[in-house]
Amino acid sequence: MFGNNRLPAFHPGLTQSRIRDTTTGSRLWFPGLRSAPPSESSPSDSDPANDQLPLPITPEDLYDTPMAPFNPYTYIRCPCSELNPYAKRTPDVTAQGLSRAAQDDDDHTFDPRAARSNYSLYPLEYLSFCEDCHQIRCPRCVAEEIVCYYCPNCLFEVPSSNIRSEGNRCTRSCFQCPICIGPLAVNHVETPPDPNQLLSPDHAASSHSGSYILSCSYCNWSSTEIGIKFDKPNSIHMQLAKLRNGGETRLTAKERKERRKEQASQGGGGGSSSTAHGEEDLDTLLDMETQFANLKSFYQNQLSDANGTGKAGGDASAALGNLGFDAPASLSRIMSLYTGSSSLHDKKSKSRPGTMREALAPSEGLQLASLDETSAITALQDFEPITGLDAYSSTASTTQLQSQAPYLGASPLHGLTRFTSSLRPISYLLRTKRSKRCPQCRHIISKPESKVTTTRFRIRLIAGNYIPTITIKQLIIPGLTPPPMPNLPPDTIEPLKPAQFVLTFKNPIFESVRVTLATPATTPGRFPSKVTILCPQFEIDSNTDVWEEALKDNNATSSSSQSQNLSSSTGPEGSGPGGRKRAGTLRPGTAGGASLAGEELGPEVGKVWERGRNWTSIVIEVIPASLVQTAKRDGRGPIKEDEDVLEIPMFVRIEWEAEAPEDEIMPGLSSAKGNKDGGKEKRELAYWCVLGLGRVARTL
Amino acid sequence: MSSATPSPGPSSSSAHGHHKRHSILPAVSQSGPKPPVQFSSSCTIADSALLTGAHTIIVSTESVIHPRARLESLGGRVTVGRRCIVHERACLGAADLQGRYHKGSPDKEGRSMGAVTLGDYVTVEVGAQVESGGTVIGEGTTVGIGTRVGAGAVVGKHCTLTANSTVAAGEAIPDYTVIYSNGLRRVDRRGVSDLKNKAQARQIDVLRRMIPSNPAKFQ
Repeated sequence: MFGNNRLPAFHPGLTQSRIRDTTTGSRLWFPGLRSAPPSESSPSDSDPANDQLPLPITPEDLYDTPMAPFNPYTYIRCPCSELNPYAKRTPDVTAQGLSRAAQDDDDHTFDPRAARSNYSLYPLEYLSFCEDCHQIRCPRCVAEEIVCYYCPNCLFEVPSSNIRSEGNRCTRSCFQCPICIGPLAVNHVETPPDPNQLLSPDHAASSHSGSYILSCSYCNWSSTEIGIKFDKPNSIHMQLAKLRNGGETRLTAKERKERRKEQASQGGGGGSSSTAHGEEDLDTLLDMETQFANLKSFYQNQLSDANGTGKAGGDASAALGNLGFDAPASLSRIMSLYTGSSSLHDKKSKSRPGTMREALAPSEGLQLASLDETSAITALQDFEPITGLDAYSSTASTTQLQSQAPYLGASPLHGLTRFTSSLRPISYLLRTKRSKRCPQCRHIISKPESKVTTTRFRIRLIAGNYIPTITIKQLIIPGLTPPPMPNLPPDTIEPLKPAQFVLTFKNPIFESVRVTLATPATTPGRFPSKVTILCPQFEIDSNTDVWEEALKDNNATSSSSQSQNLSSSTGPEGSGPGGRKRAGTLRPGTAGGASLAGEELGPEVGKVWERGRNWTSIVIEVIPASLVQTAKRDGRGPIKEDEDVLEIPMFVRIEWEAEAPEDEIMPGLSSAKGNKDGGKEKRELAYWCVLGLGRVARTL
Repeated sequence: MSSATPSPGPSSSSAHGHHKRHSILPAVSQSGPKPPVQFSSSCTIADSALLTGAHTIIVSTESVIHPRARLESLGGRVTVGRRCIVHERACLGAADLQGRYHKGSPDKEGRSMGAVTLGDYVTVEVGAQVESGGTVIGEGTTVGIGTRVGAGAVVGKHCTLTANSTVAAGEAIPDYTVIYSNGLRRVDRRGVSDLKNKAQARQIDVLRRMIPSNPAKFQ
């Protein structure tokens, strides 16, 4: 049982963001944020007391899983998806039926459950803002450039020239355990000194009395399990490349070249293939690098031989054999083999029709495949079945094998690792620090410091500094809101009953903004809920300093008696502690529309709910749809994952006045242009966002 | 009876002239029956350790029981071997998740297995729960942080149970096993048992100087 529980080890470099599955329409989940991941579907609601058609039972319904607590969320849609040239008005023909694919014109409302909107919705923390274009930029539309490469383990910055030559892994001493992907530490192993040798005069020269190994502190793996020990504690990557499993050394490419040069200078026989291959043992195992090098030199010799320069074979192979297959000379030779009848080619090359043969010996690169795997099979069968461990768990899992780098010292045919006992340590993948650019105006949006250990940014334009933050909370007034039904599952909204939510907009910029909201009257999807914004247009004060507000308070409290009954919804008027003002509180005299005498505390249409230094709260009212499908409804199929979440698409338009940018060349130009209000210009920004309010209970 | 605040340890007032800071956690109160104990003379029992139960609790040579560790002998005798370390909030002889204290089936000769038996050189880390009921932890094993060892489980020698792992009730873990990840197992082939024992002895030396021992309180 335990052998089957093989969980995938963390794969270095794999991101953790999950885009929702488009077929099920579940909610997006972003790591690191407070919103809960998509939870399993709640229990089936085939209530026998229900005289309507029961829903078809899905496998998810059979498991009575408790629902994860729901946190209201706000996702903002990046306008980059509007510039899609392939925008077509294709209705969504999935079982969602009535909903259409979201189109980006102003005529059509935004459907958060459409397949396309999946890729454009982001929480505010993920978005940046381009100051030149005054537009939101999402991670999908920014252009990224790499600032520096570094190893996540040793935090050593690797210059980009090394990336090209040595690859994208750390070449120092950073390794990951092949079993559990944890970091490996270099440990000193003291071998006990041989008592016989202590007195010998050679003792001082005996090295390897202490050596170093790599060991994992989590799963207790160490490199002694593959028989590898190191002489020095640093530059382990280099030492590891030269060691095979079991401690034998292998030659690297450079060393092999040197040896071949020595042999060539001694032997004198130039690269011809007529070595006495009959004497060689056909079963010698070559490692990957050696086999490739042998094959390559063999084929180069064959090429040069086949093209009529056999006499001067030695020089030819040296001069022309190394040209490769792209050079024009070798190309023309190859083509001449095929165009035998053309009169343009060389007569000399025609006289020798040039035969090429295959390799015949390991020295030429031949490796015979041994199909006999009895050794591996007996290793599996002889495995002592210790309780909890079986032969299956001694084999390496797919993830473990995939993380292994191809080892050039292993034979490609027979050296494939199958058992966990032959897995080698994995080098750390290098990570990058990246800077982001706006795709349109090429301005830098975010630029981290190139020093690896600092986490600061040189430039950081995030949307949170420009766009109001929206937080959602359910509004429950003790005397006013009807109590929920008794057996309501936690964190759910009752269907078919009006529920009120307070949306708090917090303004990050230093100007006061006017916000206009719009939503469709009913939410898109199979279960349309009615939405009403009680105050679609309001102002938020600027994000001034806290001290300014406190000073204003002191001035205001001196005249507090006058400000007690004011209830204007616009204009900053500090009164009371914290500068809050609630529109619905005690207003005995004013005729505020439908306000009843006994309900002064309820939210009012057209009035702000609460206001603060840099924030404003308004109330929206929703009447959730019932999730039970009747025969009249068009919807088919069971409730998909997260289809019961009440999501409201909302169009937000923000207007504010900003300082007109000073013309650097002629400082006086802006005023000379005759701008009124001392150089301010009106700016506006509009975007769609999606508010996830809560899950609708599956009652009724 | 509530425990007194620990007496000031070896004075470190050379650098600071103020008093040693007292713990802000609430005072530990011993509840439950006071168990009969057999302490070795060289063992270290912290003052705020919690020993409860009806059966004997045996702590052998040079073992260390940290403050606020619990040793419950409600289900049977608790035996701690030589040179063991039981860290804070660990519980030997804990009840299972339903709250029952298992008694443990008697062994071949008909004697009752104690609730919990720890071999020599065992380390029980912070917050580990070793359930009662004939549970045996072999010599040199490290029971990781937050691990739960089920009732009646027999863990072999020199095993490593990594943090937050669980051993099912009644399970037998062979020697030199490492339980890691989400229940995965492998065999530890490092051969460092001697080194670990030596390191444990050195750690116990340090702990004996740092933890003020008060075995008389429990006898």
